[in-house]
Amino acid sequence: MKKFFKGNNKEFSTPYTLKNAIIKGDTWTRLSLAVLGAGNIARKQYIKGILYFLLQVVYLFFMITTGLGCLLSLPSLGSVEQGEIWNEAKGVYEYTAGDNSLLILLYGVATIFLLVAFILIWRSNLKSAYKAQVLKEEGKHINSFKEDIKELFNKDLHKLLMTGPFLGIVLITVLPLVFMIAMAFTNYSTINSHLILFDWVGLVNFTKILNFNDNIGRLFYSVLSWTIVWAIFATFTNYIFGTLLAIVINRKDTKFKSFWRFCFILSIAVPQFVTLLVMRSMLQQNGAVNVLLKNLGIIKTALPFFGNATWARVTVIVINMWIGIPYTLIQVTGILQNIPTELYESAKVDGANSITTFFKITMPYMLFVTTPYLITTFTNNINNFNVIYLLSAGDPTPVGATAGKTDLLVTWLYKLTIDRQYYNLGAVIGIMTFVVLAIVSLITYRNTNSYKDEEGFM
Amino acid sequence: MKKSVLKSYQRKRKIINTLIHVGLAVLAIIWILPIAWVILTSFRAEPGSYISTFLPKGYTINNYVRLFTETSMLNFPKIFMNTFIVAICSCIVTVFFVLSVAYCMSRLRFKLRKPYMNFAMIITLFPGFMSTVATYYILKALGLSEGSMILVALVLVYSAGAGTQFFIAKGFFDTIPKAIDEAAYIDGATKWQVFTRLTIPLSKPIIVYTVLTAFMAPWIDFVFARVICRASVEYYTVSLGLFRMLELTMIDAWFTRFAAGAVCVSIPIAILFVFMQRFYAEGMSGAVKG
Amino acid sequence: MKLKKLFAVLLVCALVFTGCSSNDDNGGSDGEKVTLTVWGPQEDQDTTKGNWLKKMCEEFAALHPEWNIKFVYGTCAESQAGEMVTQDPTSAADVYMFANDQLGALIDAKAISKLGGDTLTEIKANNSEEMVDSVTHDGSVYGIPFTANTWFMYYDTSVFSEEDIKSLDTMLSKAVISFPISDAWYNAAFYVANGGTLFGEDGIDASAGIDFGGDKGYQVTEYLVNLMSNKNFVNDADGSGIAGLRDGSIKAMFSGTWVYEDVKEALGDNFGAAQLPTITINGESKQLRSFFGSKSIAVNPNSKNSEVAVALARYLGGEAAQKAHYELRSIIPCNTALLEDATIAADPVVTAQNDTVANTSILQPSISEMTPYWDAATIFGKAIVGGQITSANYKEKLDAYVVSLNTPEAE
Repeated sequence: MKKFFKGNNKEFSTPYTLKNAIIKGDTWTRLSLAVLGAGNIARKQYIKGILYFLLQVVYLFFMITTGLGCLLSLPSLGSVEQGEIWNEAKGVYEYTAGDNSLLILLYGVATIFLLVAFILIWRSNLKSAYKAQVLKEEGKHINSFKEDIKELFNKDLHKLLMTGPFLGIVLITVLPLVFMIAMAFTNYSTINSHLILFDWVGLVNFTKILNFNDNIGRLFYSVLSWTIVWAIFATFTNYIFGTLLAIVINRKDTKFKSFWRFCFILSIAVPQFVTLLVMRSMLQQNGAVNVLLKNLGIIKTALPFFGNATWARVTVIVINMWIGIPYTLIQVTGILQNIPTELYESAKVDGANSITTFFKITMPYMLFVTTPYLITTFTNNINNFNVIYLLSAGDPTPVGATAGKTDLLVTWLYKLTIDRQYYNLGAVIGIMTFVVLAIVSLITYRNTNSYKDEEGFM
Repeated sequence: MKKSVLKSYQRKRKIINTLIHVGLAVLAIIWILPIAWVILTSFRAEPGSYISTFLPKGYTINNYVRLFTETSMLNFPKIFMNTFIVAICSCIVTVFFVLSVAYCMSRLRFKLRKPYMNFAMIITLFPGFMSTVATYYILKALGLSEGSMILVALVLVYSAGAGTQFFIAKGFFDTIPKAIDEAAYIDGATKWQVFTRLTIPLSKPIIVYTVLTAFMAPWIDFVFARVICRASVEYYTVSLGLFRMLELTMIDAWFTRFAAGAVCVSIPIAILFVFMQRFYAEGMSGAVKG
Repeated sequence: MKLKKLFAVLLVCALVFTGCSSNDDNGGSDGEKVTLTVWGPQEDQDTTKGNWLKKMCEEFAALHPEWNIKFVYGTCAESQAGEMVTQDPTSAADVYMFANDQLGALIDAKAISKLGGDTLTEIKANNSEEMVDSVTHDGSVYGIPFTANTWFMYYDTSVFSEEDIKSLDTMLSKAVISFPISDAWYNAAFYVANGGTLFGEDGIDASAGIDFGGDKGYQVTEYLVNLMSNKNFVNDADGSGIAGLRDGSIKAMFSGTWVYEDVKEALGDNFGAAQLPTITINGESKQLRSFFGSKSIAVNPNSKNSEVAVALARYLGGEAAQKAHYELRSIIPCNTALLEDATIAADPVVTAQNDTVANTSILQPSISEMTPYWDAATIFGKAIVGGQITSANYKEKLDAYVVSLNTPEAE
């Protein structure tokens, strides 16, 4: 696990580590432990030093005024209720704002992030102070600020390019995620009215979901198994049929190639929720399809597309093919067209016929290039919200259940969270979904050639 | 080859070809059918969401006219423009982020490279809309929850996380021979110059692919848009607007206009697709020819 | 690494700094300048329909020159208030409109203000007891009702006589009827007709739960199963009811005032509207009862100008505003004085709705224990329509239904 996030240190080790800075640092470097930037200023890296110092000032100011408060409220998540006073003079009730556990949790988490960020800055400051010290001792050149900036465009280009995207991810993806994970350990839910003020409850929610004897626990396992079955079927039907279609269209003898491709790809252009909603209403009890079939005399009673569990499951898989095959078509066509022709030519020289070339050249090449794509599609299908939610809405739903027979973990989560406001349970489901996916992805992805042999294809 | 063997071979080929073309035609019809239905409905004269016949009984162009002129209930033109602007902006940000990260992952070597790749892969496994409320509060703290800043908020939501979507782009960069980079370094180019002057021009296919996927997101998302736009109708995105048309009190009068709106939304996306179709396929497989 | 950290800290600093500090309470002052945010449905802000909301707000401002009010409008349908306002009550409107089934959610989220003093007296004076009950929770009143929200029967007068419409079974023997069985808001009517209760007689006794079970429940379920096989019955879903009225295949349907214009257009001179009919179970006549609720004006407790906000709410729910609402959008008023006005009383839809509220309805419960009802009843209704509930299994299905009604799933 540690290696996962720490990476291969041996390749990139430098002598300017934190440990060295503390042990071997001189007075100025050690001063940087408390006053950021001191070490830099002492070695004439003025701008850098001042910047570090300013950061420290801003951070301390923030912590003293608001940050500390946010952190301190975190364990209790607030307890003050909204106050209500009757104002006789104005004839109205006046309210004082109480604590809002949700906001306390969010700001607490954000403050922790800031704390971590500051610790990282503190570390980097120490390292840079030590580096400056060592360079001075060795009589080597110490970078001025301008030179540091220039290096950003060359040696340190990755720092320049990665900052923005990384920040974006932290802000929009990671922060809400950590927040959601924290929610799984609280009782933030409409049950017992814990929407404004809630508390930490530890692992209670997890034991509930994983408990086979509990209603929701049983439901979890059945939704989980359907989700995996669905993902397998959805991914492979799309892949296999999509590939076949691509190959058929790509044949030498097929005419109007672009026209055929256009027909299939057009379905991607129309937003999914439009097409899915249309298909959903067409497949209802008295929707267009049943009406048509009845009029043609093919059936007597309406087909239960979403009324019967098995019918519904087959229906969603079939409709999903309609949605997904065009995507596969595009990907695979591109690959087919880019297989180096030398491979085929040399095969022909060796006397191979079309079937052999297909199995010995086309398939291996395609599998190699599309394996990451396959795995991504599989994980995307586990989280495929649109198709299930818009098409069947999880129906059919047994009386008294929160999840229907075609609900995936993801749509069930949505229902629990948005419709029922069982936020904590929804968060647990989200985490469980992630665990399932993580296990699947890590095992398969790391074992495929694409990951192991990155450089091989260049 | 004897003439008769050649002839039967050619006949076999003809039969197979005809069968295949017929099969393709049937499949094409199946694929186009729902879309055709939506288009037909957008021209349907009878109002209401429920129809007893498969094909409309009367046709009119009124739905489109009303969609764009009757803006008091739902200002479709404005909503359309909103989404268009958001889509373009988020395209730009996404492309920049994806290219930067993919280049770093593919071409540069630094300590946290592999950990970052693992991190990105893990992050994308979480269901995306889990914490829409948290996202709202974060945006609110940044001052982006009211007024025209809502559009900025939308752009941020759709593009800020793009740094995790680099895998396909990286795969593409991996196929560009390293020799090109090395030749440039020998000539004294900085890494930044290699990035901007060599790699980016070579990555037209992947730029197009990223543009396509990034452009579509704001048109089809409704989960985030609902939480961010709240009561500010003038900043709605198209998917929110279309959803509103399906509400209980509106669906009867607006269903045909909903279909018309859906067609209008599909048009820019379809144009983009068709125009860039050739590049899209290339983007996936790699620039072997360089 | 360094620049990355720099940007990270600065940005996230700004985030938490502004976020945390905005927790501070702002002392409100209703001196000269006041900004009020008002949310209402888009239909009330439709310029082609007179823009009721803006008109009323401006009239209010003119009546109160002592306050210099600036209005900021937003769109939030009454049925969405529970979601939109509760998402962030501190940034929500000062005055908004809500449907009373959202009341529980709003109270839980502390997003609605109690009303008292003169306001309370006025509410009680101008509204029937049922209306006031619809916005009351735990003895306190939370909103100013401006219209009742219920459903009743639309029918073709050329097919059904005044006598016919008293009994659903009589109507079924004459022509095709459509009813939204799969809709939870509607299908309770049958169970309530045969003695079922929700949370006791008054709808506020949470411990009593939803009592749809037992013999009375079995009888109704059997009735509904038989209804499905009646050739003159069609389930109303996805707009099939109004479509059927249009093309003549359906002669009666059940809905509310929002389809009034379309029904009028479809039926023309044969337009008829009335309170709910009865059904016959075991030879006895049982009165169908619809859920009725209300739509009301509410005040946000986080408002910085509660005095002005409450005054505006009173005006928006007052007689003049309700009259304008009726004239501009055919919203049926609930102000008792207005209801005695001749022109209004002559409107058949007004009569139908008021008769329904007075005679053939029950108050829709708004306590939070009501939440499981909606999904459970929808699932059950769909199962009836879909044929999963048959004359063989209806008893056990009903038992399961009643259990699901009374158990919040996560128990």
